[in-house]
Amino acid sequence: MLTVALQQSINGVVFGSLYVLVALGLTLIYGVLVQINFAHADIVTIGAFAAYFFTAALGGNYIAGIGVALLVGAALGWLVNAAIFAPLRERSELLPLIATIGVSILLQNAMLLLLGPIPYAFDSPYSNEVIRLWGGTFITWQNLIIVIVSTLTIALLYAFMKWTFMGKALRAVAQDRETAGLVGINPGGLVMLTFVIASALAGMAGAMLGPVLVLTPFAGTTVIVKAFAIVIIGGFGNVEGTIIAGLLVGLIESATTQLVNPGLTDIVVFSLLLLMLAVRPTGLIAEKREENV
Amino acid sequence: MSDADGSAAMSTWIARRAWLLIAAAVIAFLPLVFQDSYWRATLIVTALNVMLAIGLDFILGYAGQLNLGHCAFYGIGAYASTLLIMNLGMPFWLAFASGMALSGAAGMALAMFAAHLRGHYLAIASLGFAVIVHQVLLNWIGMTQGPLGIYAIKPPPAIALPGLPAVSFGDTAKMLYLVAGFALLFYFLLDQLVRSPIGETLAAIREDEVSAASFGINCTVWKVFAFGIGAAVAGAAGAFYASFVGTLVPDAFIITESFTVLAMVIVGGMGTLIGPVGGAIALTILPELLRGFGDLRLVLYGAALTLVVLFMPGGIVQAARFLRARIGQRMCAAGMGQ
Amino acid sequence: MTADSCSNPVGPGLHATGLHKRFGGVQAVREISLDVRHGEVFAIIGPNGAGKSTLLNLMSGVHQPDAGRIVFDGVDLVGLPAHRRARLGLARTFQKIRLFRRLSVLDNVVAAFHLHHDIPAWQYVVHGPAFARDYARCRTEAMKLLAFVGLEARPSLPAASLAYGEQRLLELARALATSPRLLMVDEPAAGLNAAEVERLVERIRLLRERGMTIILVEHNMELVMQVADRVLVMDYGQHLFEGAPAQVQANPAVIAAYLGGA
Repeated sequence: MLTVALQQSINGVVFGSLYVLVALGLTLIYGVLVQINFAHADIVTIGAFAAYFFTAALGGNYIAGIGVALLVGAALGWLVNAAIFAPLRERSELLPLIATIGVSILLQNAMLLLLGPIPYAFDSPYSNEVIRLWGGTFITWQNLIIVIVSTLTIALLYAFMKWTFMGKALRAVAQDRETAGLVGINPGGLVMLTFVIASALAGMAGAMLGPVLVLTPFAGTTVIVKAFAIVIIGGFGNVEGTIIAGLLVGLIESATTQLVNPGLTDIVVFSLLLLMLAVRPTGLIAEKREENV
Repeated sequence: MSDADGSAAMSTWIARRAWLLIAAAVIAFLPLVFQDSYWRATLIVTALNVMLAIGLDFILGYAGQLNLGHCAFYGIGAYASTLLIMNLGMPFWLAFASGMALSGAAGMALAMFAAHLRGHYLAIASLGFAVIVHQVLLNWIGMTQGPLGIYAIKPPPAIALPGLPAVSFGDTAKMLYLVAGFALLFYFLLDQLVRSPIGETLAAIREDEVSAASFGINCTVWKVFAFGIGAAVAGAAGAFYASFVGTLVPDAFIITESFTVLAMVIVGGMGTLIGPVGGAIALTILPELLRGFGDLRLVLYGAALTLVVLFMPGGIVQAARFLRARIGQRMCAAGMGQ
Repeated sequence: MTADSCSNPVGPGLHATGLHKRFGGVQAVREISLDVRHGEVFAIIGPNGAGKSTLLNLMSGVHQPDAGRIVFDGVDLVGLPAHRRARLGLARTFQKIRLFRRLSVLDNVVAAFHLHHDIPAWQYVVHGPAFARDYARCRTEAMKLLAFVGLEARPSLPAASLAYGEQRLLELARALATSPRLLMVDEPAAGLNAAEVERLVERIRLLRERGMTIILVEHNMELVMQVADRVLVMDYGQHLFEGAPAQVQANPAVIAAYLGGA
């Protein structure tokens, strides 16, 4: 019984850390731009396919494949910001979101045409070997890599945001774009940097998810909706909240799969999302802000 | 009003309603022009999409609420009406009305829940709502038969008006008249609403809720109203969908459906009501014409939506106005040249 | 609206006591009390950040106070949302212009007639004679209000295309559409040139003659001196001084606050 609980907890942490990587990208973008990139999911998917083709077709090293996916994600982030968010910035609050819905539909279905609906077998060399842990639980090397890489990345990002000049500049732009501009920070450039970082994270997450999930053009969508839930629960724009919420959702998901019906995990996560929106739309940790009229 | 005023008002009244008569005439001729069942089916789906699009435009284009959960109202109407007929033996039209009422109630519930949420949060909440509804339809096997679906759903029963032969809806032509007729009816009703002070109130909420409240507008009540009406129309479409297609599976109502309806509204021109009609027609018929090139339907939707938002956010309606203005200019210049 | 232009102690006044409002770490309004008599022009002035707009937001219902009472015409306003207060006869304009940008100038005013329609429910769906009468009446009344502020020339223009000063006047016309008994104006002169300020002063005087109670938040001291009956001076969210305009001008604490002495 304890073994099962521990095992599920480990699985929860593994998936949770991947969700955090994806959700962090969303939350960073929202923090600095107050916009949602709906195509974020597809960057995850494209990252997964990039890593797949790098390893399977080009025979590259898997870890390097993660790096490739990171670069591909970064490039896509640059493109989406340059083509959509930068031009639409002045015009409207909801139009950019709608545009990214369009991009998402386009990307998913273009991939469907090119790659087909049949899942690709993305086997990383680490998927099958297992390490025995305490209490009878175990973890695959793949999952261990996921946890290590995710934790390192998240820690680096956190340090970057809190202690470097650029990180502080990012937070300044998030709080008050105009004033940040007046103080000599280039808000447009920083928004671009944020996008690139966020999308690089998404690409990486895709590369690590590829061997673990079913790899189809819709792979990203299964993760993105949970990522939205995480960002809401943790608080849009709140990095600490997102990390905690991500791990929480990962654990809840594992628990539901184990204790209840696997088909119900989505309902549980989304009911939690709606509950959060009803009670504390600004998230677990973020403070309530009243709009100054 | 004097007699002269009276008759002048009367003729304006008729002139304004002329489009109704023209549309009705066009609908009457459609099955005569399109004889094969494939195209008739496409036209019926077009009419369904028109209903979905104008319902969403009422919520999004007029009340300004980014509702990404419209597919859920479609599905609730379809399943509710079908289950009432098959499990409770309810007559079709009563089940139809109940389906509309249930969808409308779901819309109002979502709006009440999300009333205090800002734009993006509302969008995510509506998305979450749609996911939950889809999951319920998928997992509540006892009620909905889950992924296996419900089969052998009958079309609406034949209507026999006194003295006339019975009209059976198993025939695609009659079904087309029925669905397109209802689409026209819903369009008329929504059009009347948006041209009334209710339309003004919704526009005020869309533009600025804070100042709207300062004029006595209870924004929550009116958002709930908009959602209720838009959702009810989607529910009606759902009931027709079930009785036309004959089969009902949960995957017909996944969130992608919300996005396709959104695309129709935006591409047509949100907030104009007639725009989404055009958008629904264009985005239903065009992919059928391009069938030869593989399943490009959704690629087309994605591309159209993105490009319209980036370059012509007012959609087809904006493009039409632009063209009309340019043609007007050319004619002016030509006239002055002489 | 009565023709009585003197302060009428019997008519509806607005009384606020002990208002407090905190935003995060900032105490925007602290222990503010005021007493606006029916038919007077009551001005609220103070340096930037003094809490004047917040006070207006508390009275109009955009925010609820953390503590204190607000009573208008015998009705306790605290807890009532903004739209309910509008029904009681309160109207306001906003410091940051909040027009319905995509609607036309005329439609902006028409939208504000929300509370005053006289149409049976079914005629919203099938437009009948009552609908037509109401439609015509609203537009006629709206044009009159536009004429009052001088914007009657181009009613079909989108509101966003008006010049800044004209947008402020449109805000005023809209607020008047609700037939208010108490009008709160937030920095109506901001961005207006001298001639426009003159017109504005005329408008306020006219409204006052018609018996409207006006609460005016303003920066422009000349304007305040010309129209106000009494003035409340705020600084750092607190009550600094209250009295007739002449007294305010002479008060050393007020002068110090404005010149940044304090």
